[in-house]
Amino acid sequence: MLAKATFVLKGVVAFLVLVLNGRGADLLPPGHRPIPPGVHALVGGKVHVRPGLVVDAATIVIRDGLIEAVGKEVKPPDEARVWDLKGFTVYAGFIDAYLTCASVPPASQERLDRDLTAGATGFFGVSGSERDPGQPGPGNEIAQITPERRVGTTYTPDAKILDSLRQVGFTAGNVVPERGILRGTSALIAFSDANPNDALIKADVFQHAVFAADSGARAAYPASLMGILAVLRQTFFDAEHYAREHADHEQRPEGRVRPAFNPSLQALKPVLEKRTSLVVEPRSALMVDRAAHLIRELGLNAIFVSSGQEWRRPQLAKAAGGAFVVPLNFPELSKLPEDDDWNGVTLDQLRVWDWAAENPAVLRKQHIEIALTTYGLSDRKSFRKNLRSALDRGLSEEDALAALTVVPARLCGVDKQAGTIEPGKLANLTVVAGSNYFNPENKVDAVWIDGRIYRVEHEKLKQVASTGKASVNPSKEADDKTKETESKASDERANKETTRRDLLKNRVARSPQHKRNPLAEPRGILIRDATIWTCGPAQRIEKGSLLIVDGKISKVSDTPISEEAGLPAGSLLVIDGRGKHVTPGIIDAHSHAMILGGVNESTLPSTAMVRVSDVVNSETDNIYRQLAGGVTAANLLHGSANPIGGQNCLIKLKEGAAPADLKIPGAPSGIKFALGENVKQSNSGERNTTRFPQTRMGVRTFFANRFIAAKQYLQEWDKFKANGGRRPRRDLELEALGEILEGKRWIHCHSYRQDEILMFLRLMEDFGVKVGTLQHVLEGYKVADEIAKHGAGASAFSDWWGYKFEVYDAIPYAGSLMRDRGVLVSFNSDDADLARRLYLEAAKAVKYGNTSEEEALKFVTLNPAKQLRIQKRIGSLEAGKDADFVIWSQSPLDSGTVCLETWIEGKKYFDRALDAERSADREKEWNALLAKAKKVLDAAGPSDKSDARAQSAFFEHALEYRYDYENRHCDHE
Amino acid sequence: MTRNICGITSAVPFGTYGSCSSPNGVETPGYYQVLPTGEDSDSYDFSRMQKMSKLRGRVKLCVTNNTRPDRWSGYALMFALAFALSNAAQICAESLLLRGATVHTVSGETIAPGDVLIRNGKIAAVGKTIKTNDATVVSLTGQHLYPGLIAATSSLGLTEINAVRASQDTSEVGEYTPDVQAWIAVNPDSELIPVARANGIAHALTVPLGASVSGQSGLIALDGWTTEQMTIKHPAALHLFWPSMVLEQTARGQSRGSSNTKSLDDQAKDRVRKLKEIDDFFTEAESYAKAQRASKKENRQSSISIPAWEAMLPFLQGQIPLVIHANEVRQIKAAVNWAVGRNYRIILAGGRDAWMVASLLAEHKVPVIYEAMFDLPARDIEPYDVHFKTPGLLQKAGVTVIFSQGAGATPATQVRNLPYAAAQAAAFGLPADEALKGITLYPARILQVADRLGSIETGKDATLFAADGDILDIRSRVTRIWIGGREVSLQSRHTRLFEKYKGRPSSKPSAPAIGGQ
Repeated sequence: MLAKATFVLKGVVAFLVLVLNGRGADLLPPGHRPIPPGVHALVGGKVHVRPGLVVDAATIVIRDGLIEAVGKEVKPPDEARVWDLKGFTVYAGFIDAYLTCASVPPASQERLDRDLTAGATGFFGVSGSERDPGQPGPGNEIAQITPERRVGTTYTPDAKILDSLRQVGFTAGNVVPERGILRGTSALIAFSDANPNDALIKADVFQHAVFAADSGARAAYPASLMGILAVLRQTFFDAEHYAREHADHEQRPEGRVRPAFNPSLQALKPVLEKRTSLVVEPRSALMVDRAAHLIRELGLNAIFVSSGQEWRRPQLAKAAGGAFVVPLNFPELSKLPEDDDWNGVTLDQLRVWDWAAENPAVLRKQHIEIALTTYGLSDRKSFRKNLRSALDRGLSEEDALAALTVVPARLCGVDKQAGTIEPGKLANLTVVAGSNYFNPENKVDAVWIDGRIYRVEHEKLKQVASTGKASVNPSKEADDKTKETESKASDERANKETTRRDLLKNRVARSPQHKRNPLAEPRGILIRDATIWTCGPAQRIEKGSLLIVDGKISKVSDTPISEEAGLPAGSLLVIDGRGKHVTPGIIDAHSHAMILGGVNESTLPSTAMVRVSDVVNSETDNIYRQLAGGVTAANLLHGSANPIGGQNCLIKLKEGAAPADLKIPGAPSGIKFALGENVKQSNSGERNTTRFPQTRMGVRTFFANRFIAAKQYLQEWDKFKANGGRRPRRDLELEALGEILEGKRWIHCHSYRQDEILMFLRLMEDFGVKVGTLQHVLEGYKVADEIAKHGAGASAFSDWWGYKFEVYDAIPYAGSLMRDRGVLVSFNSDDADLARRLYLEAAKAVKYGNTSEEEALKFVTLNPAKQLRIQKRIGSLEAGKDADFVIWSQSPLDSGTVCLETWIEGKKYFDRALDAERSADREKEWNALLAKAKKVLDAAGPSDKSDARAQSAFFEHALEYRYDYENRHCDHE
Repeated sequence: MTRNICGITSAVPFGTYGSCSSPNGVETPGYYQVLPTGEDSDSYDFSRMQKMSKLRGRVKLCVTNNTRPDRWSGYALMFALAFALSNAAQICAESLLLRGATVHTVSGETIAPGDVLIRNGKIAAVGKTIKTNDATVVSLTGQHLYPGLIAATSSLGLTEINAVRASQDTSEVGEYTPDVQAWIAVNPDSELIPVARANGIAHALTVPLGASVSGQSGLIALDGWTTEQMTIKHPAALHLFWPSMVLEQTARGQSRGSSNTKSLDDQAKDRVRKLKEIDDFFTEAESYAKAQRASKKENRQSSISIPAWEAMLPFLQGQIPLVIHANEVRQIKAAVNWAVGRNYRIILAGGRDAWMVASLLAEHKVPVIYEAMFDLPARDIEPYDVHFKTPGLLQKAGVTVIFSQGAGATPATQVRNLPYAAAQAAAFGLPADEALKGITLYPARILQVADRLGSIETGKDATLFAADGDILDIRSRVTRIWIGGREVSLQSRHTRLFEKYKGRPSSKPSAPAIGGQ
């Protein structure tokens, strides 16, 4: 009974508009409060008709929920209730484009121990229910893929939330689904007290994707950033396939097996057809770029949710090619217990803090369309304060107003109904006491939604009211005194606030790209009289000369090269190499140091569909640190948590270049495989004992299974290509494995024990596959002949051993021993520190096993290049190759040597002589930012409410730098 | 107590494993050829020990064996000796003249070429040319002689394989366990020990890991039949792991506003409480020491002896130093100031951020066992080479720098690379002789064994090794090593496996050649 009564009351408001239209059926029965008349005239206010058009002392006529007229000359109709808005400013009702209300039932995060979920068996090689990521009932096999969810069918108004939104001037918002990766569709809701049916303006506004991984011990696929991208890719391909299959089935249902029903894939149809845009929340500046790439690849329409850090690389945001929804959740400072505690705050944390408010302006400067949102604020009241900060940092009021009105209206596809104050539009208005919404002192007085006024109560008013009540019998003097203190306090507050604002107006932080350009880019370089370790047929040349033109090696010679070299005067840089040594750039054949997010998608035994190229980190300090150790190229590998890992990515360490520009174009594709303890989860604790395989026996079985599946997959496609018929489903896992079978993708296989090495080589031989490299391969020396015969490269540690049982027999002589037996050997780092010292690792091949110095240096130059099949471009100093080289103070194998300069393609990326200046520069910036931060903290009054979420956001490390202080190896999550 | 074991020296290096083609060469010679030391092992009274060894020196009994010893006969001999001479001290008394090497005395000039005379396990003379009639001459022309290297903190012997829990004895539970003794748990047969030794590491301080006061370390020689024989000095130091002073802000990568993180203020309070706890612990230990002294003075039996407090006495009585393990600048500052306030003699181990407080460390003469050489910079404003440069900066400021790879299971496998930590410091500004001292004389000094170890000087233990080049250069190879006058094998699990598989006959194709690509 009670519930019913509530519903009827809600109905009162909802039926308002209709009743006044005179529809008898809508007349409320007796006993209800009659619905107020629906005609209003708002007179005398300053009216922002639309961004850029302001009319002073205008009149707005509202009739039955719609705007009937607006203008200076407009006369209020007789029947109108007249509102005097002198001294008030009226805007089109604000729209929040990305609103979370927590009113949507969360997607199940728990893994289900059932056999017949949507995932069930056969899911990427998962056996049984233990790792079954599915969900109950029809749906996607991955619990985090729920595009079929619709906020439009689940939205439940929450008075508190609506109140908080109206307080800052919002009249409508696009409520987005929460939880998961592909989350479902949003719905545009009016913030009225009407029932949800009437409050809903538009359902299925956007489809939503968020790069949020399900992490933790019991995580299901996908648990990594690269896994998320792989899942999104596969899901959209599946949706295409689904549409095709069902269309086919509808046409000819007879004579074919029915296609499976999948509401999740069905729900993506409008997105594929570009009828619905995909809103992507990538959560970091670089992932915005990656999201844009994915969107282009899939051919979708997209809108991006700003990470708040597009200032890192504004051009990438521009290149994304879509509008941005911009939250104003700026990180906030907190007082630290001791001054020394500031030492733990990084330059990047301070930069994030200092840049935050400028980000909206940065986006606008790139001519990117933006819509604002309260998303991410734990207290929506800080919206206006933060918006003010954004304006102080260059966002224009007109742009801000557009970002609250016309832009979100257009993005949501309701620009004919909302966004401006024009006849025929919804009577949604935001009314501010005073002359300007963008002055936080001017309170929002009321909002109008669907022609009905919602007065806004502010805390301050409440306070006054309660003071009034409390002082029933106070003497007048006492009262005055209180007032006096109050006003004094408020003056002080205002002063402090002004100081704070003034401090925040000026940015101290520099762009992280500051001085990240190449340090020199001469057209030609001539190095003279240096000891040149060519790593090519010319061996080591004492007093040699090296000529570089346009990024390529033009000549290496043991006789002097003349300066002319056919270059225009002044374009040749001559380097006196006396006493110095020059080598090819170091190549690290095994690195995880420039990967965003986790290096393992460890949830499944095969993750061949996952790509490291989706998560290349161009910002990490590891690039510079390793350049300083002479590294110029790295093979970024997936980890070793599963037998079949993800696809690798070859990059050059071009400090400052964007992720896409780090990649070596045309480099052969590869993939990480792994054997032994990691993949059988020997050291993963008692909980991880049920995933197949758990033994070295099973590892072979697993590989055989997947390769047979891949073979069948290729046959299926071959048949289709030859004979036509129904198009097979594109399976990114089997596609990658198929590429191995076709010789288009090289395996880099993490391996330790001799038995497993032999097993793997033989199994691959059975499939006609030549293995690219065996990684680590610490017992490779025991089966060196077999490795040599197969032709796989061996990429090893120089002397690591003993850290787990399978490396108890690792020996430092292995590199030399394998080389002596005809194996192509390289030394790698698998470690962000060791990568900085690979030249010295090479020296260990001299020490252990007597490899000659020239050959030892090849372990970190030419040999890895050959192993990665890029020796035509890099690895040695030979005419025609890329000019990737290093200048050393002494022999690169001498422990006393120091890397002086590192060049890639004829451009200088590291210069030790400039490093002191660089560090001093950064320290100076840090000090300046710290000084600013402390001043801002001092200016904060005691009344300033701190926002715990914003404060903890301050301490968060940006994804791009999160792993800069730890070494990540193969088995890292 | 048996302390009368004789070293058996082989004057020539043992044969290499050679051309054995059997994959089942289990009895790998060389492995057992290292014969035991003759060190007194259960005393930290050095003067007494030295007297004893002088005494023993007169009772000469030396068994030399120039042929390859058989493992069992070696054992039999041992037993026989032990039985027959159970109360007589025996050490090897063979005289060796190491001739013609570049002698890096470390404490003095490098003599190139020079001679070193070894008698009774001690260095009897060092000079340009030494004349003697009774010594076996070992020609080391073209070689470099160095004092045995000392790993100033390590878990050698306490760990075998990091991932195998059963092989871990590195870290005990509990916050205050000063009565935990590391040296007694050293596995003399750990495969890690000969691996380290093969690169000139002759001694290591085995450190008990743990929280706060973790226990006492012992200095071990990387040679010996038993822990007792291996132990050179125990306890060698008391260890205090300074509590973390880093504020746990939102953990990296964690979601915003994670609820299990304490507020900054609460963390600050915890921090103060933790330090107070440590301070209290030492105050209580001092009270105990005072009470013990009083009862001794009054000549009455102390009613009870409490092991944990007893274990604090050697430090409180000034016999051994306190090693404080701290990396972060707040920790270092707090630790030094605390120690200065209490007038404690301390050694800082870890020392990552020591460069920020070099003058503080110099002012209070706190030596640093620098373990952070290859750590990545801890902050983004730090130069890429901050840790490479630190030893040089510290040295310039007047701080004694000792190198170590640190304690722990993984570092234990890499103790052999100790000289390259020093070498990296030398490449980035530390004078090379200081780098060398940091792995020889300085660790000997701070552990108060410089009267025996750390340099090639008359009267010191004949613990030294020959290399075919500069020991700081990775390309150099150690060719011979003597510990306490005995030549010790350079073979290890690694050389055995190397020899074994080097000898593997070339295999015939055992599978069909691959098709396809």
